[in-house]
Amino acid sequence: MKIGIPRSLLFFYYYPFWEELFKELGIEVVVSDKNNERIMNKGVKYSISEICVPMKVYVGQVLDLVEQGADLVYVPRVVNIQKNVTLCPKFLGLPDMIKYSLEGMENKVLTHKIEQESDDISDWKDYQIFLEVFDINKKDLKRALKKASQKWQEYRVMHRKGFTSDQLLEDTKRTPDTGDLTIGVLGYVYNIYDKFVNMDLLGKLREMNVNIVTFEMIDDEVIKREVDQFAPRKKLFWEFSNKLLGAGYHFLKSDEIDGVIHVTAFGCGPDSVLGPFLDIDSDKYDTPFMTLRIDEQTGESHLLTRVEAFVDLLRLQKTKEARKC
Amino acid sequence: MKVSFPYMDTPVLYYKLLDLLGHDIIIPPRPTQHTINLGVKYAPEFACFPLKVLMGTYLEVEEMGADTIVTSGGHGPCRAGYYGKLHQKILDNAGLDLDIIVFDAPKDWRPFLKNLKKIKLDNSWLKVMSVIKTAYALAHSMDRIEKLIHKNRAHALDSRKVSDAWEEIQQKYMEIENRQDIAGVEKWAREKLAGLEYDFPKPDQRIKIGIIGEIYVVMEGSTNNDIEEMLNELGCEVERSHYISEYIDSHLVPWKWKEYQHILDKADNYLEIMIGGHAKRSIGHIVDYKERGFDGVIHLKPFGCLPELVSQSLLDRVSEDPDIPILSLSIDEQMAKANMLTRVEAFLDLIKQKKEEEIA
Repeated sequence: MKIGIPRSLLFFYYYPFWEELFKELGIEVVVSDKNNERIMNKGVKYSISEICVPMKVYVGQVLDLVEQGADLVYVPRVVNIQKNVTLCPKFLGLPDMIKYSLEGMENKVLTHKIEQESDDISDWKDYQIFLEVFDINKKDLKRALKKASQKWQEYRVMHRKGFTSDQLLEDTKRTPDTGDLTIGVLGYVYNIYDKFVNMDLLGKLREMNVNIVTFEMIDDEVIKREVDQFAPRKKLFWEFSNKLLGAGYHFLKSDEIDGVIHVTAFGCGPDSVLGPFLDIDSDKYDTPFMTLRIDEQTGESHLLTRVEAFVDLLRLQKTKEARKC
Repeated sequence: MKVSFPYMDTPVLYYKLLDLLGHDIIIPPRPTQHTINLGVKYAPEFACFPLKVLMGTYLEVEEMGADTIVTSGGHGPCRAGYYGKLHQKILDNAGLDLDIIVFDAPKDWRPFLKNLKKIKLDNSWLKVMSVIKTAYALAHSMDRIEKLIHKNRAHALDSRKVSDAWEEIQQKYMEIENRQDIAGVEKWAREKLAGLEYDFPKPDQRIKIGIIGEIYVVMEGSTNNDIEEMLNELGCEVERSHYISEYIDSHLVPWKWKEYQHILDKADNYLEIMIGGHAKRSIGHIVDYKERGFDGVIHLKPFGCLPELVSQSLLDRVSEDPDIPILSLSIDEQMAKANMLTRVEAFLDLIKQKKEEEIA
C-alpha cells in the first residue's frame, strides 16, 4: 500500500516524524511534488475562492498524490497538541473538507484525530486506526511511534541550533548563517517554507546576507513565558498562533534581532488577530516590523522591492547606531 | 459609569438587563454605513466583518459619552472570542477611554464573578438573580414574537405594517419591569399582529427558507440588508438558525443543551467534530430544514470567517445528498443591496421552478 503525504501545512513541522513512522511500519510513502504552478492551479480550481492559500495548496497536493497513484492520502485531524488550545478551525475540519468537497476522495483518506498534550505527537492512543488499516500489532505500532518521536526530537534540536526547516528537510547547506543582519521571520511553517507561494523569501534574504530566525528556533520556555506575560488568563485560541505570538514578542524585545517580517496569507483569520498586537507593540520596543501578505497571485518584483527596501532600512539604521557609539 | 453594549438584532435585551440593575445606559444606535466606515478605519483589514461593525459601534457610543462596554466573549477557536481583547488594544492605542467588560462562559469562575461584581452595583445577589430570570423570560418571549413575524409577514397584504408593528412591540418590551409585564406585552403583541390583514396560501404552496451561518450576520439586519424582510416581501416564510433565546439555552444553560443536540447529530455525516463557531450547527440545520420540508437555505457568513469557510466547503455535498438548494453569500463592508436582491431573486426563481416540477 502506498501512503501519500501532501507537502503542505504541517508537513514542514512533522515530516521527520511521519517519515520515520511509516518507514518503521514498512509502508511505502510518496510525498507530493514541491508546490508549483500546476499544483497551485489545481488547488485553486477545486477549493472555494475565499479560503486561504495554504489550504488551496493542500488541496492541490492531495489531488497530485492521487494522480501519482497513492492508495490513501494521510490527512490527520490535528485538534490539539496541548490542553485547551486547538489549531485553526480549518485544520479541525480539514479531513471533512478533503473527503466531501473533492470528488472521489471519500474512501481515499487516512485520517485520525490527534489530541495530545505536547508537540511530541507520539501517544499511541490516537493511532489505533493504524492497527486495522495496516494490519499490524500494538507492539510494532508503539515501537514505530517511539522511533518517530526520537527522529522528530532530533529535528527539533537542530532547529534550536539555528537551522530552518527547509535546510533540514532538503539537506542543503548545513552551515549556520553568517550575515551582518538578523531578521525574525514570523509565520506559519507552511507560509515561510512554501517557496512557490512566497517567491523564495528565505532564499532572497540569504542572498542579501541576512541571518534568519524563525519560531522553531526559540525555546519552548521562552515562548511560554512571553505568551503568559501577554495574556495570563486568556491566550490566543490557536496553537501555532501562540507560538508566533511568543516568538514575536521575543523578537521585538531581543537585541539580537534587527527587524521582524510577519509573513501572512491573504485572509488568514488567526493572523488578523495576532498581527495588530505585534504591530501596535513594535512601536513600543522600537523594532521595525513589516507585514508581508502572500496569496496565489503574489508578484515577484513587488515582493522583492519591499523586502529589499526593508533590509536596506535596517542596515542604514544599524550603521547610524554604530556611528553614534 | 455610563454603560453601553453591542447592537445585535435588537437592543432591548441588553438594555433591560442593565436597566433593571439600575445602570446609566447609552443605547447603541443601529449600525449604519457610518458605523461600518468608522469600524473599517480602525479595525485590522483582515479582521472579520462583525469585529469591524462592533468597532464602529463602540466608537459611536464613546462619542455619545459611554465609558464602559459590556459584551460576551468565547473560548474559540472562532475569532469572536478574542474580539474584546483586540478591541481594547485598538481603543487604547487610539487613546480612547473605554473599558470593555467581557463575559466569557463561566468555565473559570473567578474572572466571571469579578466582572459580575463590576456591573452588579449595590444590588443584592437576590435581585441580580431575579433580573437575570426576567431577562431570560424576555429573550424567549421576544423570540416567540419574532419567529411569528418571520413567518406571517410573508403573507401580509402590507408587509410594511408588520415591520412597523414589530418596532412598536419592541418599544413596549423596553418598558417592562417584571415577568408579569412580559406576559402582558406578549399577549398584546399577538393581538396586534393578528389584527393586521393577511392572505394565507395553502400550506403546500408556501415557500419556506432557512437562514444559516455566522450568528452576527444572520441576526443583525443592518449587516445583511435585512434579508428576512427582503425574503418576506418576496413571499417566503423565513426561519433563522439563530435566535438569541436559543443561543442562551444552547450555550449558557447546561440542562438545556441536550435539546439542541439533535441538530448537531444531523451534521455528523459531514463534519465529525465541533470546529468552533457554529459551523457544525449550520450543517445540522440544513439537514433539519430539509427534513421539515423547507424549500431552500441561504448561508450567510462574514468574508473570511474561519468556521463557516469549512461549512461552505461542504455545502455542495450537503446540498446534493438531501437535495435542497443552498445559496451562500459572503458579507463584508461592500455588500450592496441590489447585488443581494438580484441573487436572492434568482435563487427564489430556481426554487419556485423546482417546486412546480415536484408538484407536477
